[in-house]
Amino acid sequence: MTLLTALARALAAETGRAQPIRTVRHVHLCDRPLVLIPLQLAGEACAPLAAMVGDDRDKPRMLTVYEPRDRTQRFDFAADLADVVLGYIDSYTTADPPSEGPYPDAPQLLVPNDGGVSFTRLLSRSTRFRRTEGEYAVRHTVPLLGRWLNFYSERCEAPASALLLSMTAVLADHWATGQSATEDASLASLLGWIDPPPGMTGAAAARAAEDPVRCPPAGPATDPSFDNEVLAVRIAAIRTARASGDGAALHRAQLAMEAALRTQLEPTWELMWRAVGLLRVLPPGGHVQDRWQADRRAFTGHVRWLREGGAPAPRRDGAVPAARKLAILERDAQRLAVQRAFDDPLVLAEYRLTGEAFAGVVVDAQPDRLDTSGKRAKLRPRITVATGDEVVAEPGVKLVSSTRPKQNAVVVAVTDDGPDTRVVLELEGGMGHSLVPPQGSVPAVGETVTYTTLRDDFQPVPTFPEIADTPWTHGGPPSAYVPKDEDATEEWS
Amino acid sequence: MAEVTEGAETVEALERRIGQLRVAVREAVLAGDKARAKTLRAELKRAEQAWEDVLAEAEDAGITQSAQSPHSRQSAGNAGRTATPEQTGPLLPLREQVHEALSLLQVPAAPKLIATVHEAFFATTFPTTRVTSLRRDEERSFRAAPFARPYYICAALAADFLSPSRGLLAVSTWPMERRVIGSLSPRVDFLQAAIRIAEAIERIPAPVPAARRLLWRFAASIPGAAADASHIQPEAVRQAAEAELSVHKDADTRTRREAAARARHQLADTEQLFGTRSFRPAADQEA
Amino acid sequence: MDPTEARLQKLRGRAMPRNHNARTISALATNPGCGRRALMDAAGADKQKLAAYTGYPAPFGQSQFAIVRGNAFEAQVKENGAAQLLSLLREQLRLDITEAHYSDLGDVGGNETSEVRHARTKRLLTTVDEKQGTMFDHPLLRLRVGGRHAYLEPDLIAFQLHGKCHVVEIKSFAVIDGQADPAKVAAAAIQSAVYVLALRDLLGEHKVHDETILVCPENFSSKPVATPVDVRRQLTVVKRQLSRIARIEDLLGCCPDDLTFDLEADENGIPRRPAREVEAAIRQVPANYAPECLSTCELCYLCRDEAHGTTAALGKPVREELGGIEYVRTVLDLARGAAPPPETEEVAAQLIRAAGIRAALL
Repeated sequence: MTLLTALARALAAETGRAQPIRTVRHVHLCDRPLVLIPLQLAGEACAPLAAMVGDDRDKPRMLTVYEPRDRTQRFDFAADLADVVLGYIDSYTTADPPSEGPYPDAPQLLVPNDGGVSFTRLLSRSTRFRRTEGEYAVRHTVPLLGRWLNFYSERCEAPASALLLSMTAVLADHWATGQSATEDASLASLLGWIDPPPGMTGAAAARAAEDPVRCPPAGPATDPSFDNEVLAVRIAAIRTARASGDGAALHRAQLAMEAALRTQLEPTWELMWRAVGLLRVLPPGGHVQDRWQADRRAFTGHVRWLREGGAPAPRRDGAVPAARKLAILERDAQRLAVQRAFDDPLVLAEYRLTGEAFAGVVVDAQPDRLDTSGKRAKLRPRITVATGDEVVAEPGVKLVSSTRPKQNAVVVAVTDDGPDTRVVLELEGGMGHSLVPPQGSVPAVGETVTYTTLRDDFQPVPTFPEIADTPWTHGGPPSAYVPKDEDATEEWS
Repeated sequence: MAEVTEGAETVEALERRIGQLRVAVREAVLAGDKARAKTLRAELKRAEQAWEDVLAEAEDAGITQSAQSPHSRQSAGNAGRTATPEQTGPLLPLREQVHEALSLLQVPAAPKLIATVHEAFFATTFPTTRVTSLRRDEERSFRAAPFARPYYICAALAADFLSPSRGLLAVSTWPMERRVIGSLSPRVDFLQAAIRIAEAIERIPAPVPAARRLLWRFAASIPGAAADASHIQPEAVRQAAEAELSVHKDADTRTRREAAARARHQLADTEQLFGTRSFRPAADQEA
Repeated sequence: MDPTEARLQKLRGRAMPRNHNARTISALATNPGCGRRALMDAAGADKQKLAAYTGYPAPFGQSQFAIVRGNAFEAQVKENGAAQLLSLLREQLRLDITEAHYSDLGDVGGNETSEVRHARTKRLLTTVDEKQGTMFDHPLLRLRVGGRHAYLEPDLIAFQLHGKCHVVEIKSFAVIDGQADPAKVAAAAIQSAVYVLALRDLLGEHKVHDETILVCPENFSSKPVATPVDVRRQLTVVKRQLSRIARIEDLLGCCPDDLTFDLEADENGIPRRPAREVEAAIRQVPANYAPECLSTCELCYLCRDEAHGTTAALGKPVREELGGIEYVRTVLDLARGAAPPPETEEVAAQLIRAAGIRAALL
């Protein structure tokens, strides 16, 4: 929570409408993302009940598990989901992976909330080690689906990745509502604040969205009153029909159950696509494409790994991959924060309020100034910025501007000037090699500039030992993970 | 919605009404209005039945043949599974089935175990809820005409209060020592049951999977009985159970003898079979 | 009947009393400043019914599928003298083979009042040594909450080892590859801590271990797995929070003598008292709403409605970022340049800058 966001929440509460807290969209959004809304049976670790999935708003595919406790039907569900998901992924990989660089685009999965991400991870865990022959055989697409879902849920842990997105997380990152973060976890309520129906305030729309009868939860958990009053009756009807051996009655019971579950999925399906539309209106931030390129590289790498017959990811990471992953995550999180600040003045404003950045107008500039103190003269222009922001940087500190990230600005002097502060900066770099700076490389008088202590030049991730050299303190080199019998035959009940 | 007569409703209208009624039921539940929820539930049930009837008629007329095709795979698979004949044919009255299972086990057991044993060794099973009400029926029958039947399905008694032990059933012809339950008795009876099941499996040439699964469930909780479900030997299970049994047997027998003597001394016939609810041990009377 | 008991009964009216359980105590302990919840729980008022009747039905309920699954798992672990649990305890705590006793403290013949059951729990747990007692199912415990005894009827097993009791809690959420839903584990740990406190109240501080045992299904199966949980931190939290709950007598002292939450139900159980009147009665007792209440308290929507316009309703982080100012209106007035009282001058200056930056950028 930052002061700006807290203030935006207060404004939202006053106006009854969500307030933007970003000026650009900080995630990539595919032209044709795959929306996946899973539902699961209450009380079970990962018992799929139904799903609505597809990359076309007008053509959702609905999957239903008529007997959610039946192992065979769970794997049938996984196979049906595999048809949709793998079909979607295949449409991005019709060619072999390029010999260098990533595929031109990558498939993107959108789920309603963090629960959807967890479901994806658990479904991957319960399918990716299954065997396709012998006892307990499953359809060949089931373990493959598991491996793809594992890839997506692992990438989702990387803060900069947009391959698998939780819609509530993305929306709450871009808008502040007049309710609490707890309430923002509901997709319908959040969208009520952001985009209320005509004639309704966001606050009223969000309240209306809390009625689980008219506005079903976005899953994976279903509403208890739906379970008790509708679903239980439908499942019982299916059991009765099956026990009676009446195929037509069973078919009717299945149709009825599917229709009941459809009422729980369709509203969320509409919300997901409305949210996609709202996000598309926002222009993407400057670094969004860079980050998506990293996603495309990861995706292409996984395609290669699968095509070369690589093994599925183990149940748990060994010591070396875990440490490497953590270091990369930390660096990525830091880099992401800087990129977002540079891409978005509203994010940068957070740093202005804490004194880590200031914005102002150039009131004096010496673009041709030379430093002649050494053997050779060096181009060291100076500018003076007048700012109303608090400046905590002291002389000698190196700053950088979001618009000229390759140019360092060293603080020379900070002086009070009435309500304003004047900061004298000496510039270095980003001006070519001659002693005359190219046009535009030095901020001109009258230009609005922002300088910050945030920096985008990161140390590379430290080198970790090869997996084979894992030190004994960390368990020694692990043996390669080979799915065992118990992985393939593990209960899923 | 009330003015539409049911007979005239189309599938679509019925579906709309079912949807509306479902909403109304859940709203009533959420508002804590139980009476209204009950009325609406009944109305919903009628509407759902009407929907089924209309569809069934239409199917008979062959109208929905095309609509059925997207589900044909599932329907076919399920139809295949349901084609097997029902396995719950009541060949024997429930009390006799329970007696069969208990006679195999020779120790007091809970309805769930009784049903599982019957399924494993006598090929039929029954809902445990029916077993629970059986004890009440037996007690009523005994009170009406004591000892008129050769045996009764009766209660096991808690050793301290001589009250009916929660959920355990026994056979009236067993000695009282077997029907009272001290703190070690659940374990002792579990091990005895394991031995009985292992012996029963050894007697039959080709045990059904349900019997082997049952033996594994016992073996998994007995030290040294079996390494995993696929390497399980009845003989090894029996030996492991006997080994642990020898540790507990003496202490348990002492408790049971003492309690049985008390029960025979203090309780009337009906209470000896179905337990008392009035006895208070001395220590609790201070409370 | 003592006067406090009489007042509490009047508050509840003719409704059946609702007893405390570990969930209600841990919910109360997460918001110890809420006098409304403390008083209504002490009176045994049916908060769920009252909330629904006044037009604020609680946003949570339990799915029968979850209940069935939870009961089935618990029954499975406990069946046959808790055979599965015994195996886990033998494997993990090296329990001696002779220790295999199982006593169901819920079985007390016809004597089922809380006092009798509690006395029996106490007698068995304090006098029985390890040679005669290992696992005690369904103990009836009690704990002082707001200066009054609350009985707890946990579905737990008190397990005795080396002269100390461990709390064993059986939960049906899965532990997958050694990891479980952190929120569920945290809730279970807090509940276990409540039980540890209640058991200590019964047996003495040093007779109950601060490591409890959580039994859950492993991976996607129904096979149980036991995990030791150190609840020392939760014990500190629960103890501190319980000590912060106002004394019930003091809370009663602030309420009018004729206050009652009675619904004046007729012979068919249909309430006759106007809902507004009931709501007004509830509002007489001050609450302390926080968004966390939304998952723990049946009255949350009523209290949230009341808290409309406060920064607390936006969540603790927001309120803190806004300098603890109570009302949204005040925050925005300050951001627009209203003269601040001396204690909020610093916050006001920050708010003006923040508002200025926002206005310039949007």
